[in-house]
Amino acid sequence: MKKIATFIICAIIVQYSCSSSSAQEQDADPNNENSSEPSVWSIPLADVLDGGPGRDGIPALENPGFVSVEDEFGLLDGDLILGYKNGDDIRAYQHIVLDWHEIVNDNIGDVSLAVTYCPLTGTGIGWNRIVNGKETTFGVSGLLYNTNLIPFDRETRSNWAQILNESVNGELIGEKAELISLVETDWKTWKTMYPTTKTLSLNTGFSRTYGVYPYVDYKTNNNFFLFPVPKDDRLPLKERVLAVIDGTNARAYRFIDLATENLVRETFRGKEYLVVGNEDFMVSFELDANSNSLQFDYVFNGLEIILRDNENNEWNIFGEAVSGPRRGEKLKSSSAFMGYWFSVPAFYNTEIYNN
Amino acid sequence: MSNNLGLPIEERGIWQFGLNYDYNNLNTLNAGNTKLDDDSRQRITNSVLLGISYSITDRFALEALFSWVNQTRTIRQFGNENFTETSGIGDAILLVKYAFPEALGSKSGINLGLGAKAPLGKSDLTNENGILLTADLQPGSGAWDALGWLSLSKAFDFRPSATFSGNFIYRLTGINNSYLNNTSSYEFGDVFQANVGYTDQFLLFNTVFNPGLIFKYRKASVDKINNSNLPNTGGEWVFIRPELSVHIISNILVTLRMELPIYSYVDGTQLTPTTRFIAGVYFKLNNKNNTINL
Repeated sequence: MKKIATFIICAIIVQYSCSSSSAQEQDADPNNENSSEPSVWSIPLADVLDGGPGRDGIPALENPGFVSVEDEFGLLDGDLILGYKNGDDIRAYQHIVLDWHEIVNDNIGDVSLAVTYCPLTGTGIGWNRIVNGKETTFGVSGLLYNTNLIPFDRETRSNWAQILNESVNGELIGEKAELISLVETDWKTWKTMYPTTKTLSLNTGFSRTYGVYPYVDYKTNNNFFLFPVPKDDRLPLKERVLAVIDGTNARAYRFIDLATENLVRETFRGKEYLVVGNEDFMVSFELDANSNSLQFDYVFNGLEIILRDNENNEWNIFGEAVSGPRRGEKLKSSSAFMGYWFSVPAFYNTEIYNN
Repeated sequence: MSNNLGLPIEERGIWQFGLNYDYNNLNTLNAGNTKLDDDSRQRITNSVLLGISYSITDRFALEALFSWVNQTRTIRQFGNENFTETSGIGDAILLVKYAFPEALGSKSGINLGLGAKAPLGKSDLTNENGILLTADLQPGSGAWDALGWLSLSKAFDFRPSATFSGNFIYRLTGINNSYLNNTSSYEFGDVFQANVGYTDQFLLFNTVFNPGLIFKYRKASVDKINNSNLPNTGGEWVFIRPELSVHIISNILVTLRMELPIYSYVDGTQLTPTTRFIAGVYFKLNNKNNTINL
């Protein structure tokens, strides 16, 4: 029996030392030579984690169907959406779908848009899908950095950090994503503002329980995190804020401030910003030489117009002049996104407005 | 591992060995008890389990169960296949068992056991790019668990070849405090498992066959990360398990088991078992006279 015991112990030791893992990707297109992940990352590799579902385990949507307000069902007035407008084509990407797909690759007129949304950081950011002159689509890598979505582009298989708006691994490492402004607000505010909006059809081609939030009380429980991330306790960790970013710095704006002030005009790192909002939305614009002479008033009454200036121009939530002598002009977009408070200082040196 | 635990308690000095291969295919995506029309994700676990039991007395025995685990995660989506695989020694179980023969009358028995699952398996494997893999792809749990085991059996005079049996296992899980590069704690949910069934015996071609039909109930509590419930973990399942044991030669018993889900309820949305197949071989060794018996 000693021989048996010795054999078993030796076998265990050998097997333990041989524990291994591997990750392979096989592409349906045998000519695709970009199927293996390069291992150079511009962010700390130890902070990149496998979220569980694996690459494409959360399927991004590509050119999904849309329905009108009248045909929409399943959205409650308080449900959050990410809104986009290109001319008369107005679209809402609802969180209840994004919770399950995280990325929507869409074409709206001449714009190739990727709506990226991370349910764990609450960040919805629009990216131009034309990268280096080529149109690509983005998928969900299944990886997370600081508990934030890492999309990958299908053209080069490079990985991108959503909140950094930058490729962090692969052929495009260091490449910045071109931001496309989205507005995050609730469904009632949006459909009142834009009654002609379309919204994502729930017939996505995927069988999911839209409307059932997959993370239980994650978005309201300040103590519940699935993956490690630095936690800055200056604000409740899951409070939704607007982050205006400049390089490695950010300034965060709170609903509690915008609900009373509605209009904040201030300078951040040498640039003048106009932040507009109330208890339902917050948006920001960068005032450049063409617009910094204007004096704005907050005139939002539930419909499209949110600002009027001293030249009698009226501006909508995307910064478009919809009437007045500057009709057709657009305020310069700022680099900004909505997200849970903790996600901003986890990536940027962050100061808080009015703090 | 619970499926392969619980060798019978034999006479003093008897060694028992069981070697099992366990194939578990999860390819069904459920939301609650509703099957979703999505087979793009597949998880397969291949395990090799070596069970060893030694009877110290006629009533008191020790059992150890060692495992080697190979796990794969395959995602077929958008014309691509993404494949991740881990392999290695898994956790091990040590069980102390005590028998109460004839406790339920003649031709019956009750066995009780207490044990522990030791975290022999690695729980910090990374993929080839150095990215730490998720807990359910790791061969080991990184935590000590406590186990309770109860087995009952009873044969009746109206058909002496038949046995009604049940075994019940409760696994009280421990916490892996070094999860995610020592930044988090992870605790798999406690598991209760019951197997209740009927086995019979017949002779064919001068060989003894034992067919059986087992109903298995399994309830897993939700996993916890940093002491918070982890969404989309835990659930309840009922399986039906036809099985057949064959005494292929006098001292070797071969068993084949197929496990099919008949009810699945998962917390949230999860992959849930689709098919499971277990094949095993068992033999006994009498240490007193160095003969192999069955």
